[in-house]
Amino acid sequence: MTLDDLRAYGANVDEGLGRCMGMESLYLRLAESIKTDEKFDVLTRTLQAGDLDGAFEAAHALKGVLANLAITPLQLPVEEITELLRARTAMDYTDLLGRIVAERERFCAL
Amino acid sequence: MLKSHEKFHSVNGKRQVLVVDDELINREILRAVLQDSYELLFAENGREALSIMRENKDTLSVVLLDLMMPVMSGMEMLQAAKQDADIAPIPIIVISADQNAEVDCLTAGASDFIPKPYPQPAVILARMLRTIELYEDRQIINSTERDSVTGLYNHEYFYSYAEQFDQHHKDLEMDAIVVDVNHFHMINERFGKAYGDVVLKQIGESLRASVANNEGIVCRREADTFLVYCPHGISFEAMLEQASIRLTREDVQGSRVWLRMGIYPKVDKSLDIERRFDRAKRAADTVQGSFARRIGVYDEQLHERELYSEQLIEDFDLAIKERQFTVYYQPKYDVQYETPMLASAEALVRWQHPTLGMISPGIFIPLFEKNGLIQRLDLYVWCEAAAQIRAWRDRFGFTLPISVNVSRIDMYDPFLLETLLKVVRDNDIVPFDLLLEITESAYTQDSSQMIETVARLREIGFRVEMDDFGTGYSSLNMISSIPIDALKLDMQFVRNAFSGQQDTRMLEVIIDIADYLSVPTIAEGVETQYQMSTLKEMGCEYVQGFYFSRPVPPEEFEPFIVERAGRKAEADGALRPELRLGSRRQAAITYANIVQALAADYFGVYYVNVATGHFTVYNARQQLKELGLPTTGEGFFQRCAQDIRVVVHPDDVEMLLSVFTKDNILSSLEQRGTFTVTYRMMFDEGPQYVHLKATSMSEGPAQHIVMGISSVDEQIHNEQEHAWAPRMASQGARKELS
Repeated sequence: MTLDDLRAYGANVDEGLGRCMGMESLYLRLAESIKTDEKFDVLTRTLQAGDLDGAFEAAHALKGVLANLAITPLQLPVEEITELLRARTAMDYTDLLGRIVAERERFCAL
Repeated sequence: MLKSHEKFHSVNGKRQVLVVDDELINREILRAVLQDSYELLFAENGREALSIMRENKDTLSVVLLDLMMPVMSGMEMLQAAKQDADIAPIPIIVISADQNAEVDCLTAGASDFIPKPYPQPAVILARMLRTIELYEDRQIINSTERDSVTGLYNHEYFYSYAEQFDQHHKDLEMDAIVVDVNHFHMINERFGKAYGDVVLKQIGESLRASVANNEGIVCRREADTFLVYCPHGISFEAMLEQASIRLTREDVQGSRVWLRMGIYPKVDKSLDIERRFDRAKRAADTVQGSFARRIGVYDEQLHERELYSEQLIEDFDLAIKERQFTVYYQPKYDVQYETPMLASAEALVRWQHPTLGMISPGIFIPLFEKNGLIQRLDLYVWCEAAAQIRAWRDRFGFTLPISVNVSRIDMYDPFLLETLLKVVRDNDIVPFDLLLEITESAYTQDSSQMIETVARLREIGFRVEMDDFGTGYSSLNMISSIPIDALKLDMQFVRNAFSGQQDTRMLEVIIDIADYLSVPTIAEGVETQYQMSTLKEMGCEYVQGFYFSRPVPPEEFEPFIVERAGRKAEADGALRPELRLGSRRQAAITYANIVQALAADYFGVYYVNVATGHFTVYNARQQLKELGLPTTGEGFFQRCAQDIRVVVHPDDVEMLLSVFTKDNILSSLEQRGTFTVTYRMMFDEGPQYVHLKATSMSEGPAQHIVMGISSVDEQIHNEQEHAWAPRMASQGARKELS
């Protein structure tokens, strides 16, 4: 994964890199770690089990790191689900979760 | 502003920061941002963070805290940290995406709030630095605003807090209170400074507790003075009672510190805060030394007195300029002549104030002594007196020496000699004509410098009289080393000797000592023929007092000079009778021995009449009298036999009883002139070796013996300096008379 890949994916690379003091390798390493972040699995599992508390914690944590790294395409649906879960909104999360999973797969392909 | 402090640096010189976040990515980003500037510690949840904070409480500069974390959330951790006194001061910056939490965090004690996603690194760094600076400055302020002994405010901060308090409570009536510890130096001297500090701390804590519920504040000003500023209405008696803590040391258990309190109630807030406490202090001074009254109040009366004093000080310059001060003269008579003869006069200043009338020197002299104006007044009097000597000489062809007061402060003036010489020269008289009276207490404060100054004054021809003798605490030892021309017995001392039981023995002793030192005595305050003739009998040479004349203005004094000038031939013709040395020669020898004994570190000296067993105890520092113990007694040898069993080490009792008999002592004196014995006496600290030496007062069979006891314990043990002699003196004397 390169900075250009991330740019092409839609990440706000300048912003994320800035937070990492311009350290490319750090930024790339942290972005790479998103691919294996277990919180996505936790989010899927808790939502399927109807555990909104657990789902909120996972979503909130993901939202934080994605925002800091400015991986915008993935960050936006995670933010959206975080706010719904914060209010413990009782709804069908399948579509929203599907969008997140799809974005993550696109990200993992980088 | 102070930006850093060593305390806040870790070993590598960087400030230490704790990052608390459960997300590795966030921790790593913050590591990248902070690692160049800070030493970093990490925690993944609140509980872990708390324990790291406690471990590093002395070095940690700031904590960056995420809110949403497993195990213990950031908010829980924040609340716990702020309730733990050890770590509560460490600043915590919350970093969260949850903007709604900002108010809650700041309310819970967070120092700052940084939003997520993280702002630019420079913003994080700048906000952290500002937080750290505020914290460190606060720490430094804390360490300087407190008194290290008591933990109370120091007085500068106390004053500024008091002022702040007033600004927010303009209509609240406040009391300014000063609490002083009487004789605190005695606690320090007896038990050591460390225990003294404990006592101060306890008093401070007690005072603070008294006003804690009342929004009062307390500080320590100077060694043993506390200031309390609190809303009016608190019970002063209860506060004083509570603060009069009991000493907890085993040996003095139950004794309480003796406090005095001065109150300026319902302060006038237009006055400076310091002035308010000056008034409270003034009130405390009114009960100084009083056992009966412990609380003094700054009331209208005291206020009036203050105003009066202030007016006198304000009017001083004009008074000098307008010559409102007038000098009166009181004659001193040489009473050893069949008919007492005028010898000299004392110059005494009076103030004829244009609006306040005649003011007593008893009022203005202490006042001017306090603020140094006395020096100018003294000079004024010296000039007046010198001019008077000259005027009378011109008029009557007779030079009458006049004595003037030289205040303690004058004695520190490096130009004193020059000033006095100029006064003398300007008036065409000689130093011999101007007698200088220097108060006894001046000598005791800085005796070596005083002695030196007096010696120089005498070298250039001035004669020096030691004034107020009997009121100070000069030891006989010191008197014998001071160069003086006359010893002036204090007026009160003379009056006391002749009042009530008429105990003139001390008077007699002092006159004899002066005689032994070849220094004439002058008795002040002599009012009757009887007093005059008694003093004359005792050998006192000069008498001053109402018996001859009250102090009078110069024109009223002139008849004394006229009379004196007429007797010039008598004075010049050596018609003065010799002192009746017959019986007094014996006394002189006696006291010579006593003086020597006292000068030789004896802590107890007994003068014993062999035939009657009547004895007198002398003690260099008058401690017996202060302790309320008798200084004379009967049945000396019988009493000794009883006391030996009580005060002497059990192993030495038999030995001492066998040698310390009247017969044995007399026979030893007859054969060898002295009797000596060394034994161990029991003191509070345990047994100590003492040496007793007795000498006869006369040739042949002894009629009076002088017996002195000195400590030789350390000599016997290790030949060390006997710096403990004064301490032994009081305890030893007490034991002996028990």
